Amino acid sequence: MKFGIFYELSVPRPFSRANEWLTYHNALEQCRVADELGFDHVWAVEHHFLEEYSHCPAPEVFLTAVAAQTQRIRVGHGAVVCVPEMNNPIRVAERAAALDIISNGRLELGTARSSTWTELGGFCADPDDTKKTWDEFCRVIPQMWTDDDFGWEGARFEMPARNVIPKPFQEPHPPMWVTVTTPGTELDAAERGLGCLGVSAAPFAEQERRTKEYYRRVANCDPVGSFVNDQVHTLNFLYCHEDYRQAAALGLPMVGAFSMSNAHLYFTREAYPTRAYQTLGNAGAALRSRGTPNGSAPADDPSVAKGLPEGVGIGDPDHLVRTIRKWEDVGVTGINFLLNAMEMIPQEQVLDSLRLFATEVIPQFQTPDERAERVQAPTTVPDISASDSTAPSTMPAGASR
Amino acid sequence: MISGTASVDELATGAPEIAAFGAESVRLGGVTGLSLVAELRRPAREAVLPPGLHPIVPPAMSLLAWDVSESPWGAFSTAFVRVVCRSGARARTFCVGAAASTDDAVAGLRSQLGFPAQRARVALRRHYDGVDLTVAAAGEPANGAATQHGAGPMLELSALDPDPLSVGDLQHVGSMNLAHTPLGLRLVQVETHHEPSRVERLAARIDAFDAAAWGQPLLDPYWVVSCSVSLEDVEIPAIRFVCDPALPAAEGTERVQ
Repeated sequence: MKFGIFYELSVPRPFSRANEWLTYHNALEQCRVADELGFDHVWAVEHHFLEEYSHCPAPEVFLTAVAAQTQRIRVGHGAVVCVPEMNNPIRVAERAAALDIISNGRLELGTARSSTWTELGGFCADPDDTKKTWDEFCRVIPQMWTDDDFGWEGARFEMPARNVIPKPFQEPHPPMWVTVTTPGTELDAAERGLGCLGVSAAPFAEQERRTKEYYRRVANCDPVGSFVNDQVHTLNFLYCHEDYRQAAALGLPMVGAFSMSNAHLYFTREAYPTRAYQTLGNAGAALRSRGTPNGSAPADDPSVAKGLPEGVGIGDPDHLVRTIRKWEDVGVTGINFLLNAMEMIPQEQVLDSLRLFATEVIPQFQTPDERAERVQAPTTVPDISASDSTAPSTMPAGASR
Repeated sequence: MISGTASVDELATGAPEIAAFGAESVRLGGVTGLSLVAELRRPAREAVLPPGLHPIVPPAMSLLAWDVSESPWGAFSTAFVRVVCRSGARARTFCVGAAASTDDAVAGLRSQLGFPAQRARVALRRHYDGVDLTVAAAGEPANGAATQHGAGPMLELSALDPDPLSVGDLQHVGSMNLAHTPLGLRLVQVETHHEPSRVERLAARIDAFDAAAWGQPLLDPYWVVSCSVSLEDVEIPAIRFVCDPALPAAEGTERVQ
């Protein structure tokens, strides 16, 4: 089981330069601590215009800072919105390769297509086309990374042959993922040999169903990249405290506030009728109703808050170990945690939660070898002599993949 | 989380009265429906909603028009101007203005469902390659022509080039209507269940929109997002929930059925 941290960079109202500064710099400190504690990944999303919910339109900048301030944690650039009005695929390949170099081969690249009208409309993107452009981006980016003379004439993107440089440090290229919100996207991921980066916490049973089908299909996939990334990660919240009640008292309001801010996004399906968006996207789609004995409140009762996602990572260490065992049992290979929302939890308590989780929970999911690996010295920077510029003499971990 | 800032007292001016909550649903048969979403300028975001509702970003208006063949109030045409919002975590719209073509429909919409309906001429015309909608104050022509007093239509829009969609591709969002009820001044939650047989998406243009005539001068639908037309039957279930317009839904919701 891999453990990551995940950033939307949600900012509290009233907005101020200071609040945005604080959110970014608190997150950077959390990344440095998570790196020292042995967390595996840090992911940062790409969102635009989503006031309060996510002030993270340039994750590659944030992640470059993370890469520069950490030694071993892998940096998840994800997901990049694969819509040409927002990102040209050449620029995505270039930026990602540069980030892979800066991070000494620690990049993971997530792909997505955006689920809100706020974003798609802001860029005048056509919602009907986003699935198609996403598919094309997924196919061309790994070729740009590995082909010295790449040209393309596709349905939504074309370019004459060029050598897209730099090439990423990892060979043949960084692992690629797809963010999965809408049920069925996990099948798109599987068929393309892409990792399944869940960004909505589906209930255990639903996650198990999707995961089984993902593994069945990915085993026979036609990968868009040079290798198959058959990992399934899911998104969760984390607040860990020795006292379960204190964990719940601080952690659950954070989950509720984040979920409410998600529910207040203007999803594409609500604004623009299209067969390309059949469900509301992101975390809001996963929240189950509650309030009646069978767990389903009347869908039209506005007083009933949507319930917590099943298996939420709020509690004491023993509770979290039991919860994560259930995720492990349904086939999830990694969990990425949101640590805060709108800075509701004071920074010191976020860091204490991270430390407690790393001390008491993570070791329960490691083999002795993995435990030893986590306390190893940071990887060395490649030693490239002037006389031999063809290859580094010392490859950072992950570069030989 | 941001909330509406409009004065409830001011919003309540002229609000409909529901003397008693009905137990029966209202069925509308043979409906041609038009739904249009347009973005509003920022000043309208919080200022047009009561404190119990939450705006979305960007602020948006949902325009709904029905040409109804069969109903308890006979055949009629109607149009609703609504602001997209959230009630608690639920997607909703706040109805700021409504127009209907017959006195029976105006009375029914106001007294049973709390829509702030006024009598007007509503013309929803469907052509082979598009749709036109014109709403004009009662006594004014519904063809968009200026009256002798110089006033234009309340609303005039045209939509062209229908593109067929699946009947499930269109999402419907319920209305919150401010009305005097047996429980006091409340936001009345009106849901609709749709049985479409045909749905098309079109490219639309708003040619005229008189915000003041709809009761909310701040509305400025400057950017059309989408427009769809459907052939359908519509059921409006009996009202089940009302909300205090001054309180968040979690605190101010009451069940009436």
